[in-house]
Amino acid sequence: MSTPGAQGAYTCPYCRMGSDGASHTCPHCGAPVDVSLRVTHSGWLEQPPIRDMARIRFGHSTCQISGAYVPVAEMDLRGEDWVYFSHHSLLHTDTKVSLANLPLKGGWKRMRAGLPLMMMWAKGPGHIAFSADAPGETLAVPLAPGRAIDVVEHSFLVATGNVEYQWENANVWFTTRDGDETEWHFPVGQTMDRFTAAGSNGLLLLHAPGNTFIRDLRPDQRILVQPGALVWKDQSVAMFLHFEYPGGAYWYSSARWQAKTTWLALQGPGRVAVKSVYERPEHTGYVYQHSGATQMSWNSGPSQGFGSPWGGQVARGFIAGGLGGILGSAISSMFDDN
Amino acid sequence: MDRVECQWCRAQNEPGRTSCLTCGAPLDVKNLVSDSGWLEAPRLRDMSEFRFANSTCQIEGEIVPVAELALAAGDSVFFEHHVMLWKEPNVPVSALSTGGGLKRMLGGMPHIVTVAHGPGRVALSRDATGEVVVLPLHPSMEIDVREHAFLAATHTLTYSFVRLGIANVLHGGGGMYMDRFVTQSWPGLLLLHGYGNVFQKTLQPGEKIQVEPGGFLYKDSSVTMNPVKLNVKTGLLGRSMYLAEMTGPGRVGIQSMYVHHGSD
Repeated sequence: MSTPGAQGAYTCPYCRMGSDGASHTCPHCGAPVDVSLRVTHSGWLEQPPIRDMARIRFGHSTCQISGAYVPVAEMDLRGEDWVYFSHHSLLHTDTKVSLANLPLKGGWKRMRAGLPLMMMWAKGPGHIAFSADAPGETLAVPLAPGRAIDVVEHSFLVATGNVEYQWENANVWFTTRDGDETEWHFPVGQTMDRFTAAGSNGLLLLHAPGNTFIRDLRPDQRILVQPGALVWKDQSVAMFLHFEYPGGAYWYSSARWQAKTTWLALQGPGRVAVKSVYERPEHTGYVYQHSGATQMSWNSGPSQGFGSPWGGQVARGFIAGGLGGILGSAISSMFDDN
Repeated sequence: MDRVECQWCRAQNEPGRTSCLTCGAPLDVKNLVSDSGWLEAPRLRDMSEFRFANSTCQIEGEIVPVAELALAAGDSVFFEHHVMLWKEPNVPVSALSTGGGLKRMLGGMPHIVTVAHGPGRVALSRDATGEVVVLPLHPSMEIDVREHAFLAATHTLTYSFVRLGIANVLHGGGGMYMDRFVTQSWPGLLLLHGYGNVFQKTLQPGEKIQVEPGGFLYKDSSVTMNPVKLNVKTGLLGRSMYLAEMTGPGRVGIQSMYVHHGSD
């Protein structure tokens, strides 16, 4: 038996917890022990699927993962252990398991942000099982005391009772116009869930559609990812928007806005996880206002490269990049698109 | 020489076979059972083949499997017409008279159930990631299946539908009706499609389990299903939450991917 967080003969590369390495799977996150790391040339580490029927230990209880396409997390709750979850992820339960509400603050804001209004908690003894609503992987993230991670909306499956939950504004947004209407865009969702282990080791289970890849960023190292692909990040990882405008003959037209890519810039230090199935970005047209962002225009030369993220409460004209932008904006507003 | 018993359908197989001749389940893989007793439906290997009557069925693909049926003369299968992926031109099709047309329409059930007659090939698949569950049925068996979950059934099965109790309709989230398949004096074969992964549990007499209604896939008709109201509220307006309580004896099958039935 291993001790969570303790140094053992084996340190899991996926959850960084120590164990004796005697079993085929990590007792803290369920990752297989006897497989070689799959790391892409760029440094992304593929999170291996948790093996069918693998067990994860927490407190006096266990969690067993079964299935391959839409895995089920079945918990055997014992002692004083309890878990909380959003009610729509409950698949089945023993009749002897106690279920009750776990009220949350900020109900109105949560409803506006599309978050579950209520959490439920379950206390054993007994079995209770959870599953998600899309093919993908169950991610087990053991949290050492004091460690906090930020999770994208609707990724949460279930957490142990000693993991504190709060939610915060993601503060990644921009606005466009449709006629006189201002449209708000929240590429990573309006809020993010923050989970922090308090006092003792906690276990957080997430569900990510498709496959999942993780990467450790050095201090100040930046990467660009599709905003919809983010699953979770360490609290220490900063994130902001990055607008990239490709070069080409259309730079002076409204196509300039449609052709841009809206990235999520992630800046270390810390770990990030992305999924391979995500909501495709919509064409958004001319950006009027936005949260902190950088930009790159391949028509304006390298001087427009990465810099410090700048706050853009009024970005009109700045993003435009001069006459081409103004012309593009005029054409855009005359003909259509935004 | 000892024969090999399939752990899923209990059929006897010749020694040396790697998949069951009756249901396609791998014979050289041990059963996967969770700590609480849920048995994972066998993951059919790509190109697994099994027999029914004088015909064969081959399962192709793994993420959204296709069931390709080679129908012998005199054999036929019926299915909801929208699951037909392709067919050979010479395979005759007809419509099965289901009865209760208005009720079926109101209940959102398929109005047209198609029958394909051998000889010839027809292939069937559903619209999402999941598993094909093969249920060989012995004579005099009754099984209830969630609406729209059946992929195909052999002509030896009697097909009808049962209306759920009013409490189930209002609170169960499983629709108004369930499909009921009954074998008479001949065995039959039922193919289901479950979203995500499929698990089965055999309940003892009086044993109960509570299941998310959206996760329910099938049950023996001996298992009773009743909605139970949980002592929780799931919204600012105080909506209640219901689960389907299944009481044995008999088998219950669930799927791991479902649309939450909501709360009322």
